[in-house]
Amino acid sequence: MISPVDLALGAAVLLVAGLSLVPRSRLVVTMGFLALGVLVTMVWLRLDSLDVALAEAGIGTGLLSGLMVWLAVRSPEPPGAGGMEPSPRLPWLRPAVGVVCGAVLTVVTAAVWLRVEDRLPAWGGPVEEQLPDTGVEHGITGVLLAFRAYDTLLESAILMLTAAAVMALSSTNLHQAAAPMPPVPLALPWATRLLVPALVLLGLWLLFAGSRDSGGAFQSGAVLAAALILMRTSHIDLRGLSTYLLRPALVVGVVVFILAGLVGPMLGLPWLSWDPDWAFAAVLTVEVLLTTGIAAGLYMLFLTLENPEGVR
Amino acid sequence: MTELVEFSLGALVLLPLLAAAVVMLIGHTARRVLGVVTAVVTAGFTVPVVATVADGDAPELVLGGFTAPLGITLRGDGLAAVFLAGTALIAVVLTVFAALVPAATGEHLTPSGWRPGHPGFWPLWLGCWAGLNGVYVSGDLFNLYVGLELVGLTAVALVALGGRKSWDPALRYLFIAVLGSLLFLTGVGLLAAVTGTLDIAQARAVLEEVEDPTAGLLALSLMTVGLGMKIALVPMHRWLVPAHSAAPAVVSPILSGLVIKAGLVILLRVWLWAVPLVAEAIWLAWLLGALGAIAVLVGSVLALRQDRLKPLVAYSTIAQIGYWFLAFPLLVTEHDDAGAAPGAYSAIVALAVGHMVAKGGLFAAAGYLKLRFGTDEIARLRGAGAQYPALILAMGACAVGLIGLPVSLGFAGKWQLATAAVGAQQWWVVVVIAAGTLLAAGYLLRGIAPLLLQAPQESDHQLPDTGDETAPAAAGSKTRAEGAGELLILLLGVATIGTGFLGSWIYDLLGVGLW
Repeated sequence: MISPVDLALGAAVLLVAGLSLVPRSRLVVTMGFLALGVLVTMVWLRLDSLDVALAEAGIGTGLLSGLMVWLAVRSPEPPGAGGMEPSPRLPWLRPAVGVVCGAVLTVVTAAVWLRVEDRLPAWGGPVEEQLPDTGVEHGITGVLLAFRAYDTLLESAILMLTAAAVMALSSTNLHQAAAPMPPVPLALPWATRLLVPALVLLGLWLLFAGSRDSGGAFQSGAVLAAALILMRTSHIDLRGLSTYLLRPALVVGVVVFILAGLVGPMLGLPWLSWDPDWAFAAVLTVEVLLTTGIAAGLYMLFLTLENPEGVR
Repeated sequence: MTELVEFSLGALVLLPLLAAAVVMLIGHTARRVLGVVTAVVTAGFTVPVVATVADGDAPELVLGGFTAPLGITLRGDGLAAVFLAGTALIAVVLTVFAALVPAATGEHLTPSGWRPGHPGFWPLWLGCWAGLNGVYVSGDLFNLYVGLELVGLTAVALVALGGRKSWDPALRYLFIAVLGSLLFLTGVGLLAAVTGTLDIAQARAVLEEVEDPTAGLLALSLMTVGLGMKIALVPMHRWLVPAHSAAPAVVSPILSGLVIKAGLVILLRVWLWAVPLVAEAIWLAWLLGALGAIAVLVGSVLALRQDRLKPLVAYSTIAQIGYWFLAFPLLVTEHDDAGAAPGAYSAIVALAVGHMVAKGGLFAAAGYLKLRFGTDEIARLRGAGAQYPALILAMGACAVGLIGLPVSLGFAGKWQLATAAVGAQQWWVVVVIAAGTLLAAGYLLRGIAPLLLQAPQESDHQLPDTGDETAPAAAGSKTRAEGAGELLILLLGVATIGTGFLGSWIYDLLGVGLW
């Protein structure tokens, strides 16, 4: 049943999506994006997808908006603002192309939507059957860390290597971590001191709840990274952490994940096999360390916003 | 034996990945050692897989013991084996080269300015290799996407190792890479919605029973466009030339030789394995064929007009990409013409692997020259051959492969493609091949011949004043490690010719585990 709430939510998503695309000012666009994230999270909640909603709120909205706010504050005007201007000779060309593309996309999507018959995922039954062997009780955690652990491993590796790219773009020893931050209103450090303990608690709860309920390494890592970003923005000295702990924290998840996967072949099983006897211990260890890696990786993405050649 | 093969299938991906993680924690010299050790061991794991496939078996690894559709299955079939073997060869050579000549890995920023050599190369490259192997052996659509992301992201970061100048091309590459991946992911999502599974073999089985081909066709189109962007098919090629020429010396051959092949392998997986070729897809195949023909001609002509070596080699890549797509119309005419499809498929693979080896060698040579002389302007490299005979020999051998002269995989591939085209009476394909071959000879001669000419004398002063007119000035004298590096490039040149004898072996390998 479509309720008025859903309709209003849908209309609001469209409106805010426009708000986050059309304006020229980066600040307005960023605010629009933030609001869009909140609305999309609510849409996921209405669809009963708590896990997706948490991921959307944590990573899609929370962290991405953090990066965008930083960018908007540092340089409010898009560089070479001409990027959005109509071309002088054929002013109608760009809108026309846009309209044509939009129309084609709509027609194709609608045609497929109406003609194609969806099938229920074939893995629904097997998930129920084999979940007891994985040591976790929540289906999504089971898919992430047992059934399709290989995908999760590669995805964590992608985040780790993105952070490696950040380090490659920085000067020796992640100097960005020590670069001066812009001044902030006095209330922020104060609020940070109040918020960070709560965020850490929330992150840990998301992590440990993940084995039975919604939540897990990615959401938890995002919350912990947010705490780090807040502290950094509030001029709290994190240099010790950045110099000594960030790198080990970044790689430990992937390393332990692979080593845990290697236990299977040692015992004559396939790669990434976990015996039901100790599967829960393996999953929990991997998940805790993955969270560390994800938090470190996401925090490094924030560090990369600083130009390695110094502030222009 | 079976256990070893299964273990190897997983280790081919997870070992370089583990090394990529560990290498981030250790010092710069240790990184080079660990990198070389990892490369050799990973190449060693290729052997059991390729040997099994050569025996006619296609090994499988059911990860975690969870069978599809629930879990992920890795498959080592003919296509995987050929690309695993080719990648292992190039990767080992380039890894040792990077360890011997650290300056080839880019330049890094220190508080006192830019310094040659970039330690960040090691985690990124090992991660990239893990992604490449992951793409080759993957039997799962979503896992293909994850592998593609792993390759794409590390490739972008590798470009950015080339210092300040390379950041703009890297950013442009990033946009294209992400857009291409997203299009591919949309296709994957569509296929999963229609078939209810992500396993490639199972998805195909379901699609064959679905009467309405719309969803399959749309997914195929989306994935083809996305991958076309990543492979840099004309007209989606503009990102490639700046990215590949601004990349550090050892990264350009990785990008041109290996990274774009990951896109090609996925494209073949989608066209031949995942989506059963429907009659409605013929227009798409013809479109790809036409774009391929344009790529061969336009890419070659643009390569002819370059004054610098690395962009010339990069445009040559665009032309060579065209050949792979030229064969697509012959793949789909299967229904009325039984003979053409296997030949066209084998031609694509032979051309791609031949290009992998030859372009790896040529780009490494070009990058090395640029490193030594501080420029890759062809006019200023005149006479460089006198100091680097091994390098010039390697470039010549690689050119043989790129032009498609016998004996090389380039020749074998063009021969198979032309045979398939004649069999299907598509004469225009033969014309494009002939024209492309002539143009390739032209631009490669234009790039390499000046290196062999005598250096300009005191009297003819067409060159900008470099101070030393007798020969282009190399920066400092060669170390022994660099001399060994040259021999490695020569090894790739020899391999270009040597692999030419493997044409029929590759044809047999490809027959294992067909769709």
